[in-house]
Amino acid sequence: MPSLLCPHWLGGADLHSHQHQYRLLKTRKRPCVCASLSEHGEYHSQRPPTPLLDTINYPIHMKNLSIKELKQLGDELRSDIIFHVSKTGGHLGSSLGVVELTVALHHVFNAPQDKILWDVGHQSYPHKILTGRRDKMPTLRQTNGLSGFTKRSESEYDSFGAGHSSTSISAALGMAVGRDLKGRKNNVIAVIGDGAMTAGQAYEAMNNAGYLDSDMIVILNDNKQVSLPTANLDGPIPPVGALSSALSRLQSSRPLRELREVAKGVTKQIGGSMHKLAAKVDEYARGMISGSGSTLFEELGLYYIGPVDGHNMDDLVTILKEVKSTKTTGPVFIHVVTEKGRGYPYAERAADKYHGVAKFDPSTGKQFKSSTKTQSYTNYFAEALISEAEVDKDIVAIHAAMGGGTGLNYFLRRFPTRCFDVGIAEQHAVTFAAGLACEGLKPFCAIYSSFLQRAYDQVIHDVDLQKLPVRFAMDRAGLVGADGPTHCGSFDVTYMACLPNMVVMAPSDEAELFHMVATAAAIDDRPSCFRYPRGNGVGVPLPAGNKGVPLEVGKGRILIEGERVALLGYGAAVQGCLAAASLLEEHSLKVTVADARFCKPLDHALIRSLARSHELLITVEEGSIGGFGSHVAQFMSLDGLLDGTTKWRPVVLPDRYIDHGSPADQLSEAGLTPSHIAATVFNILGQTREALEIMS
Amino acid sequence: MSFGVVPRSGNQTLHLWPNHVPATKIGGGGGGSWRVAQRRREGSWSAGLSSSSFRTRAAVEERGFVAAKGSFYELLGISEGGSYDEIKKAYKQLARKYHPDVSPPDRTEEYTRRFIEVQEAYETLSDPGRRALYDRDLARGLHLAFSTRKRFDEELEERSGWRNHWQDQIAELKRRSMNKDAGENLSWGARMRRQRAESSVE
Repeated sequence: MPSLLCPHWLGGADLHSHQHQYRLLKTRKRPCVCASLSEHGEYHSQRPPTPLLDTINYPIHMKNLSIKELKQLGDELRSDIIFHVSKTGGHLGSSLGVVELTVALHHVFNAPQDKILWDVGHQSYPHKILTGRRDKMPTLRQTNGLSGFTKRSESEYDSFGAGHSSTSISAALGMAVGRDLKGRKNNVIAVIGDGAMTAGQAYEAMNNAGYLDSDMIVILNDNKQVSLPTANLDGPIPPVGALSSALSRLQSSRPLRELREVAKGVTKQIGGSMHKLAAKVDEYARGMISGSGSTLFEELGLYYIGPVDGHNMDDLVTILKEVKSTKTTGPVFIHVVTEKGRGYPYAERAADKYHGVAKFDPSTGKQFKSSTKTQSYTNYFAEALISEAEVDKDIVAIHAAMGGGTGLNYFLRRFPTRCFDVGIAEQHAVTFAAGLACEGLKPFCAIYSSFLQRAYDQVIHDVDLQKLPVRFAMDRAGLVGADGPTHCGSFDVTYMACLPNMVVMAPSDEAELFHMVATAAAIDDRPSCFRYPRGNGVGVPLPAGNKGVPLEVGKGRILIEGERVALLGYGAAVQGCLAAASLLEEHSLKVTVADARFCKPLDHALIRSLARSHELLITVEEGSIGGFGSHVAQFMSLDGLLDGTTKWRPVVLPDRYIDHGSPADQLSEAGLTPSHIAATVFNILGQTREALEIMS
Repeated sequence: MSFGVVPRSGNQTLHLWPNHVPATKIGGGGGGSWRVAQRRREGSWSAGLSSSSFRTRAAVEERGFVAAKGSFYELLGISEGGSYDEIKKAYKQLARKYHPDVSPPDRTEEYTRRFIEVQEAYETLSDPGRRALYDRDLARGLHLAFSTRKRFDEELEERSGWRNHWQDQIAELKRRSMNKDAGENLSWGARMRRQRAESSVE
C-alpha cells in the first residue's frame, strides 16, 4: 500500500554539508522525501532534496544500505525521476513502476559484472541514475545527451541495447551461455514487461532457455497492461489477449494457497518424512489447480516464483538474495507485480499512466504541449482512414499495441469492432491482415516503419508473394528525433520497393496523405504501402469533407517549373526540396521541383521529361541507399537516359546510424537540410563559392 | 458457506467459493445483460481512496460487472441501519424465494441472477468490516457494482498471502538445486556446470 511521507525541506543548506552530516550522524532525524503518494503534491519545479541519493553514484555505494534506507532511496529516486522527466520529457510511467525493482537489483547484484538487461529500455531511467549518469539526466533524449533507452556504447552498465521489445530474454540467454562457455560466474538477469511478453520472441527465448538449462533469471514486470495504456482514448480497457487472464489467475490463485495451507498443516503434524510427499502434492496441485498459469512457464522449463509485490522492497530484496545465493538454479522466472506510474498520483490516475510525456509541471501534472497550427500526420492518417471506413464497410484496421502512436485509438472509438490490437506481435499482425484480405476485407496495417522490420518475412511470404491487398501505413518513416536509431524508419523504402507486387508511395504533405489513404483503399488487387514522417503537417488545405480522392497510380506531379536542375523528391523530403529551391532562387537559380509520389511504379514519363530537359536530376529522400533514388537510377540507365550529358545524383541518409536528438539536429547530421540540398546542387554545378555561402 | 447449485438452464455453475462470481451472463441469452459500470473518476473521490478506487474501477471494467440498480439495502428490503438479524432474516427469505430450484421455469435466469445478488448483499452486509466500507461508499453516492469492493479487499488479502506462496517456492527451489546437476541431468547447462566444477577442483 502506498505510504504517505511528508516533505522535508532541508532549508538553504547546500547538499555537500548534508552529505557530510548524513554520514556523521548515526541517529539522524527522520528524513522525509517528497515523491510518494501525497495528494497535495509536494512536487517542485526546483530540484527536490535527495540526501541519500546524493551519496550514491554507482551500485557499489548501495551495498551497505539497510532495507529502510533502500526504501528511502527508492522514494528519492522517484522524486528525482519526476523532476528530470518534467524537464526533458520521456517515458515516465514505466520508470516509476520499476523504482523498487531497480534499487533491489542493484543492491543485491553486482553490475556491471552481473548483467542486467532491460527489455525495451524505456524503464531504465532509475537504472541510469544509479549507474553514474545522474548528472547527465538533464540531457536525456537530446542531441549528444543520454539515450532514452539502454545503449552499450553509453555505459558498461547497459548490458544490451534496446528500443524494440521482447529481445531481452534472448540476449540474456546468449549472455548466460557465453558466460558458461567462458567459465565465468556472473549472474544474468532480464527484466521484461507483460506487454513485451505478447511477442513470440519471448517464448522462443524461454523455450530455448528451458532446454539449455543455463543459470539465469527472468523477471516479469507485470503491471497488468498487456498493451500500452495509450491504446484507448476513454480509459483503461481490458488488456489484450488471453495472456493477461492467465497472469491474473496466477496472481489470485487462492485455491492453491488454501490447499497449500492445509498441506502445510498436515505436514507439521505428521513430521518431516511427509515433506517429500507434501512437495509432490504441491507440484501436482500447481498443475491441476492453478490451471494454465504457472505451468505455462514451468512447461517451458523455467522455475516460476511469484507473484511478488513489486513495490515491497523487503520482499524483492529477500527473493533476489535467495535466488542469487542458490547455486545451480537453471532458468528462474520471477513474476513481479507493479503499478505503472506508481508514486505520482497524476500518472497513476491518468488513463495512459503517463507512458510517454512531454515536459510537464510536476506540481500539477500538466504537460506543456505547444499549440501548433497543424496536427500530426498520425492524426491526419486516423481521420483519413475513418472517412474511408465510413463509406466502405470492409475497411478494417490492425495495429500492434500502438493505438496511441498510430492514431488508431480514434478509429477504435468510431468503429469498435473494426479495429484490432494484436499486442506486440507485428509478425502475427501482418499475416492476420493477410487472412482478413483473403476473406474480402480491406485491412490497413498501421505499424511503424522500424517495427515493420520485424515482420518482413510475413510481408514477403504471406502478403506480397500471394498478392493479397493488404495496405501498410508506415508511420515514423525517416528520422524520428528523440527516440533515436532504434525507432528510425530509414529502411522502409528499400525493403518495400524491391518487392515485386507492392505499390509504394509517399505523401509530401497532409493533403497528399488523405489522397494516398484513398488510393490505398482503392487498390484491391495487390498490396500497397505508404510512409509518412513523425511530426506535423505543413498547413496545406485539406480535401473536402476530410475525404481523399484516389490518385492515378504511378503518376507524380511537378510543383515548380525551373531549368537546368530538377529536384525530384519522395515523401516528406519534397518539403526540403521546396525550401532548397527558395534558397537557390536567392542565388538566382530557379530549379524544378517535382513530387514523385510513387516509388513503385515509377512515373516513367515524368522522369524521362525531367532527364531530357535538365542537365542535373537529383533524387531526394529520407531513406537509406537502395530506395527511391536507386530505383530511379536503375530506370534511367536501362532507358538510356544516362547515356547523354544528363547527370543523376542521389541525396539519401548516410551509411551510418544517426543518434537521437532534435529533428533539426538529426537532419543536419544526416545532411538532408534544405541548405545541404541547395549546397549539393551548387557543388555539382561547379559553383563551389555559392555552395559555401549557403552552408555558412 | 458454499452452494453447489446448478441453475436449471444454462451452463454456468455457481462456484464453490461464493465470492467468485463469473463475469458472464448467467444462463446465456435471455433478458437483461450485464452492463459495465462506466464511472469516471471525478475529483470528489478523496485522497486516501484514490489509488484504491482506481484499482476498484479497473477491477470493475476488467471483469465486466454490472451496476447495481439500487443499494444492497434496497435489494434486501431493509433500512440502512438494519441489524444483523434483520439482514439475515431478509436474506433467508429472499434466498428461499429466488433459489433456482424453486423458481418458475420460464424465469430461471432472472431468479438465479437475483439469487446471486441477494447472496452478495448478504455477504457484504453481514461482515461488519465490509459493511462499514460499503456504507461509506454509499454515503458518497457511490454505487459500486457488486463484488468490486469485495474484490479489492480480496486483492489486498491476496497480496499479503503472496508472501507465503513465494516463500514456499524459494524453499522448493533450494531443495531442487541440491540435486540439479546429478549425473542423470543431461541438459546443456548441467553439463557445463559439471565441467566447470570439475575444472575448478583441479
